[in-house]
Amino acid sequence: MPPTGLEPARMNRKKGDKGFESPRPYKLTHQVVCINNINFQRKSVVGFVELTIFPTVANLNRIKLNSKQCRIYRVRINDLEAAFIYNDPTLEVCHNESKQRNLNYFSNAYAAAVSAVDPDAGNGELCIKVPSELWKHVDELKVLKIHINFSLDQPKGGLHFVVPSVEGSMAERGAHVFSCGYQNSTRFWFPCVDSYSELCTWKLEFTVDAAMVAVSNGDLVETVYTHDMRKKTFHYMLTIPTAASNIALAIGPFEILVDPYMHEVTHFCLPQLLPLLKHTTSYLHEVFEFYEEILTCRYPYSCFKTVFIDEAYVEVAAYASMSIFSTNLLHSAMIIDETPLTRRCLAQSLAQQFFGCFISRMSWSDEWVLKGISGYIYGLWMKKTFGVNEYRHWIKEELDKIVAYELKTGGVLLHPIFGGGKEKDNPASHLYFSIKHPHTLSWEYYTMFQCKAHLVMRLIENRISMEFMLQVFNKLLSLASTASSQKFQSHMWSQMLVSTFGFLKSISNVSGKDIQPLIKQWVDQSGVVKFYGSFAFNRKRNVLELEIKQDYTSPGTQKYVGPLKVTVQELDGSFNHTLQIEENSLKHDIPCHSKSRRNKKKKIPLMNGEEVDMDLSAMDADSPLLWIRIDPDMSVLRKVEFEQADFMWQYQLRYERDVVAQQESILALEKFPTPASRLALTDILEQEQCFYRVRMSACFCLAKIANSMVSTWTGPPAMKSLFTRMFCCKTCPNIVKTNNFMSFQSYFLQKTMPVAMALLRDVHNLCPKEVLTFILDLIKYNDNRKNKFSDNYYRAEMIDALANSVTPAVSVNNEVRTLDNLNPDVRLILEEITRFLNMEKLLPSYRHTITVSCLRAIRVLQKNGHVPSDPTLFKSYAEYGHFVDIRIAALEAVVDYTKVDRSYEELQWLLNMIQNDPVPYVRHKILHMLTKNPPFTKNMESPLCNEALVDQLWKLMNSGTSHDWRLRCGAVDLYFTLFGLSRPSCLPLPELGLVLNLKEKKAVLNPTIIPEVITGNQETAINPSGHAQLVGFQNPFSSSQDEEEIDMDTVHDSQAFISHHLNMLERPSTPGIHLGVFNLEGKEQSPLEMSMHPVATAPLSVFSKESTSSKHSDHHHHHHHEHKKKKKKHKHKHKHKHKHESKEKDKEPFTFSSPASGRSIRSPSLSD
Amino acid sequence: MRNDYVRKEVCKRGRIFRANFEAHSNPSLSVGHVSRVLRTPPPPTSVGLWKTQRCEHRPAPFPPDDYKSHPALRSRTLRQSKMADTMATAGAGSSGTRSGGKQSTNPADNYHLARRRTLQVVVSSLLTEAGFESAEKASVETLTEMLQSYISEIGRSAKSYCEHTARTQPTLSDIVVTLVEMGFNVDTLPAYAKRSQRMVITAPPVTNQPVTPKALTAGQNRPHPPHIPSHFPEFPDPHTYIKTPTYREPVSDYQVLREKAASQRRDVERALTRFMAKTGETQSLFKDDVSTFPLIAARPFTIPYLTALLPSELEMQQMEETDSSEQDEQTDTENLPLHISTDDSGAEKENTSVLQQNSSLTGSRNGEESLIDNPYLRPVKKPKIRRKKSLS
Repeated sequence: MPPTGLEPARMNRKKGDKGFESPRPYKLTHQVVCINNINFQRKSVVGFVELTIFPTVANLNRIKLNSKQCRIYRVRINDLEAAFIYNDPTLEVCHNESKQRNLNYFSNAYAAAVSAVDPDAGNGELCIKVPSELWKHVDELKVLKIHINFSLDQPKGGLHFVVPSVEGSMAERGAHVFSCGYQNSTRFWFPCVDSYSELCTWKLEFTVDAAMVAVSNGDLVETVYTHDMRKKTFHYMLTIPTAASNIALAIGPFEILVDPYMHEVTHFCLPQLLPLLKHTTSYLHEVFEFYEEILTCRYPYSCFKTVFIDEAYVEVAAYASMSIFSTNLLHSAMIIDETPLTRRCLAQSLAQQFFGCFISRMSWSDEWVLKGISGYIYGLWMKKTFGVNEYRHWIKEELDKIVAYELKTGGVLLHPIFGGGKEKDNPASHLYFSIKHPHTLSWEYYTMFQCKAHLVMRLIENRISMEFMLQVFNKLLSLASTASSQKFQSHMWSQMLVSTFGFLKSISNVSGKDIQPLIKQWVDQSGVVKFYGSFAFNRKRNVLELEIKQDYTSPGTQKYVGPLKVTVQELDGSFNHTLQIEENSLKHDIPCHSKSRRNKKKKIPLMNGEEVDMDLSAMDADSPLLWIRIDPDMSVLRKVEFEQADFMWQYQLRYERDVVAQQESILALEKFPTPASRLALTDILEQEQCFYRVRMSACFCLAKIANSMVSTWTGPPAMKSLFTRMFCCKTCPNIVKTNNFMSFQSYFLQKTMPVAMALLRDVHNLCPKEVLTFILDLIKYNDNRKNKFSDNYYRAEMIDALANSVTPAVSVNNEVRTLDNLNPDVRLILEEITRFLNMEKLLPSYRHTITVSCLRAIRVLQKNGHVPSDPTLFKSYAEYGHFVDIRIAALEAVVDYTKVDRSYEELQWLLNMIQNDPVPYVRHKILHMLTKNPPFTKNMESPLCNEALVDQLWKLMNSGTSHDWRLRCGAVDLYFTLFGLSRPSCLPLPELGLVLNLKEKKAVLNPTIIPEVITGNQETAINPSGHAQLVGFQNPFSSSQDEEEIDMDTVHDSQAFISHHLNMLERPSTPGIHLGVFNLEGKEQSPLEMSMHPVATAPLSVFSKESTSSKHSDHHHHHHHEHKKKKKKHKHKHKHKHKHESKEKDKEPFTFSSPASGRSIRSPSLSD
Repeated sequence: MRNDYVRKEVCKRGRIFRANFEAHSNPSLSVGHVSRVLRTPPPPTSVGLWKTQRCEHRPAPFPPDDYKSHPALRSRTLRQSKMADTMATAGAGSSGTRSGGKQSTNPADNYHLARRRTLQVVVSSLLTEAGFESAEKASVETLTEMLQSYISEIGRSAKSYCEHTARTQPTLSDIVVTLVEMGFNVDTLPAYAKRSQRMVITAPPVTNQPVTPKALTAGQNRPHPPHIPSHFPEFPDPHTYIKTPTYREPVSDYQVLREKAASQRRDVERALTRFMAKTGETQSLFKDDVSTFPLIAARPFTIPYLTALLPSELEMQQMEETDSSEQDEQTDTENLPLHISTDDSGAEKENTSVLQQNSSLTGSRNGEESLIDNPYLRPVKKPKIRRKKSLS
């Protein structure tokens, strides 16, 4: 038997050319998912799955599958009842330890727990024993059909129910349900092999209310009524081999729209939104055309479905042949701002259809290829749709983002190779979470990971040309589509999986170029490059002496060696130079082409061939240099800090045609508050050919410059006359023209300018009265009656402008804020905000943008001491039932309040919401906001930081968030921000752990030893690579004394049964495998060690864990009730427990009409 | 009467017509008319209309002086006779509302008889037009009765409408509403009025041309439109309907206008929101003062995305107004395949809930669907019966 995927990543890379080797001792070929009952009232699901597998080893006796949350009633293999064990170590990461509160420990334990059930390593939560009757059958490697009956009750993750509480039937209420989750989360709603690398064909059946529609992957074969004609069954077939993780479902009373341009594409939205859906999706066919054209490959699936649902987990989720979007992306033709955003989302999801859904990945470390390619082709679409300027601007934005993130938190590693599994080799030791698994990653890290992936793809394109790049993609796709049409027996399906190795090999085959250095630099290594550049002009030699330094010692940086492009704009033209950055050379001499001379009315040629007249009076008479740019094409992931004179930046802003260069110069000009900078910026603002985003950022720069120049500033406030000229009436300059947003460029400028102007300050550091009056007038005279577009975003920005104009209140001995001492300007602002906010109740704006801005403005007023600081208003807006944007804005204000006012009560309120809010996105968002704007940090003294809070957060990440990977990682992020890696300082010193903890701080990398020593558990001591799961485990067979020590309250009732089955499971022929299976890390365990353990030991450890968790779905086990009763009940002995269980079962009526529940009593699990 | 006349003139001229009515109720004018009415039966419809209205309103006898001054009423004659015709054929008789006419004094009696006669002539001519060669007296009488009832009902109902809007004089729009309310398709009227084979009732013998007081004639009276018989009364004097707009010096100053519009809107908004805040629950930013900046309390929605995403009615209206041409374009392009698909899907959804229709509709549906073959548009199959239907 091959190693059960101990280090799949490494293995794949080495053996990549041999094709994919499954970590499982069997191969899945087909899976049936049948959900025959969905109850919206109870939020429950009943169904079964049937997996068809072919054993690949003769002695296969256990089959591991993934399943979380599901209650499994019965498992049959080839119609024979099969015993099974369910264990999920991720439910509660750390057990039986009360005082250990350090994150290092947790992260390791969590990583170990995740790998213990990692399908990419052949593991799973559900272990099914092949009945002995079938052993012979298995030895002949014959097909097995595993039939599993399961149900889901009130799922907390994986499937999300949205049931509005209004009158009417579920369909009338717009109740719907959809699958969601981060990465492989399909196991949350049906048992499967939840891996991106295990492909199979699918048959999906969903029986739903006759008024509902079930949308799922593949082709809808037929829809059939049930016998009572009150329900109908949707039959789907997906013949293209697909990973379970790419299976999705959405059920609701959807309105159906067949795409008018492509009839095989169907769109679905919630009732009443059809007109919006029509408009929103009217553009989709162009995206299809674009991708099919550049990839020279047809869309791989025979149909495509888009579903727009409420309370979305993420805005865009791509699954095989269908995408699930947030309903908030829908918009009408009147909305300007949302349109490009929504189109981007559509394009993104479609790119992922090709790479991510159709082509899947071999292992987690190959994820970057898929994200990179889909992000890259999405970028190409952006370039074509929104233009080169927008594209370059986006690339620059993404680059800045990744650079900022890496410099802040350390590197982002695209292709982690986990050598040997030693913690010391951990490539990401600077991080407080493991990057071995997608499920242990911080969400922000993952976002940045995707961002870096597509930037690196672009770097590869730079190296091998776009043509070759597209050829590689085409090759991958055509291989995959050939493979997809093959039968399983041909063993071709692994061609549909992409690996880093395979991808790189394709590149070298197609292009013949060696991109290994590039890959090594950006893919195998983390970090970005930080350049510092300065120059001097040597007049005698007519040479530009450029000095480029690097910082590669700070965290998140790396050294760059290789070519670097430098563009020098001289009087005679623009010249590119490629420098070789080497280890020790800092200086580079670049010969200049033009003599320094005063040009007499000679035009200056630019890079793009254009020739322009320039006023050269500003420049240095001796030097022919106009401006210099380092790495203008962004072909290195870098941050450049370059020093050049202010007039050079000004020339660059005015005459360089690249938007990135313009943006850079705007940023640089902030440091040069001179009339010349002012003039340059004003000119840019007025220039209509200039890219609108550049003009927008020029506004803010101008405001900053004006503030720096406040004592010497002449004329009206910055931008005022400009705005008047552009947007106000000719006859009465104080009145703005009636809105006409036909020209989007000027619309965006019109929106932004007042916001920037409001940042102006006079000598007293107050917003000039003139500016405030100006903004108030804009609001007063705003007239949208003749406009084709909605002005809601514009009005919202006006409120933002008002908020920007607010300056801290002058407070005399901390007087209480009342109406009487309200500043008259603030009174005016408040008047507007009140009116806007109230009008929103009567005439709501699109996405309630105005409410959102009003709430933010109120918080600003509170924070500046004009209005009493009070979270009640925000808390009422944060309630469930408000539009999500409003809720987030209100929650942001509460988070801010918690920080500023150090309110324990509000923090508790927020934490409570994190635990209980119905919308996963909001819960995630609160954690994120708390992390971004923490009430305190690890080095800060705060009254909020106390033991109870530590315990609460610990509980949240340890067991409270087991149903949502993203949420758990969010909780870890928050814990890290608040307390850091080590034990929180507010905790009392643990009696025993003190010394060890100190020691551990030195050896941060292997803290798992500590709990083992603390608990004094012999077994873990034997196994030093041990895992948290073993902590607190006691061998139930060792002595009755030991048994007492187990928290019987949480121990699973049918422990006796389980141990019995464990013995049954044991098949004498292959003990190594069996032990290995339960070994959580699955490595480094020598046969000797294994034989030292009693056979049942390891599995039992697992059971004690499993049962401590709140979520457990074994046979007929009503975990909810048990969980509730947990605290009341005291310790039980086995027998009591059994009694109790049966009693409880009697009391509790079966809620499912499924026959499975009835049969479960007869299932072997109860037979003893 | 042309269609656009109904639509536009009513709106534009409504006021003037009313003025017209007023002018003619001047008693000094009415004398001539009365005498004429006595001698010659007036066009029946307008009289009937008039009669019933007045009877309800004011039981005393009165001269039906201004029926003819109202071109709209006048021209209704033929329409209503047609309607009576259709009503008769449909067999939907209405109980007469003539009671008002009976209690009148002698001239009114006369008048009543004359009306009756004219109605009979109308009925007869309609019958002839419909191809009858002879008719029994009783049936003619019945039809006459029905016609009269119908016309009376129009009058009564129009009167109610007019009073409903706090007016005393019915305008054309009241009549239109009445007709619509009675289930009559107004749009068909103009065509009917102008039908080629229509019979024109011979002009009633005119003995004395009513003398229009010279003092009031000004300019040329408007000629009749071609479909109005020439014996019908002439248009009233132009001054009664010619518009002489009077206006103050218009405020053309852009600044003042904008200023005014802005402050007006602001006042309305403030008043409205304050009202809402006063009448409902509020929140306040200041604990000590809840009235200065009252915020309408945030109330969660059951389906929050609907209000957030759907454009408000105001916006919809605005969109239609601002840009109808573009809209048209859009619908034009959408029209081709999209409408079919959506209609289908809509129908399909209904269809699925109504099982009975399902099988019967399948056949006809197949034809339409050959355009678009989408699995979600296909009919839901019945259980067990697994016949393969060819769908495309």
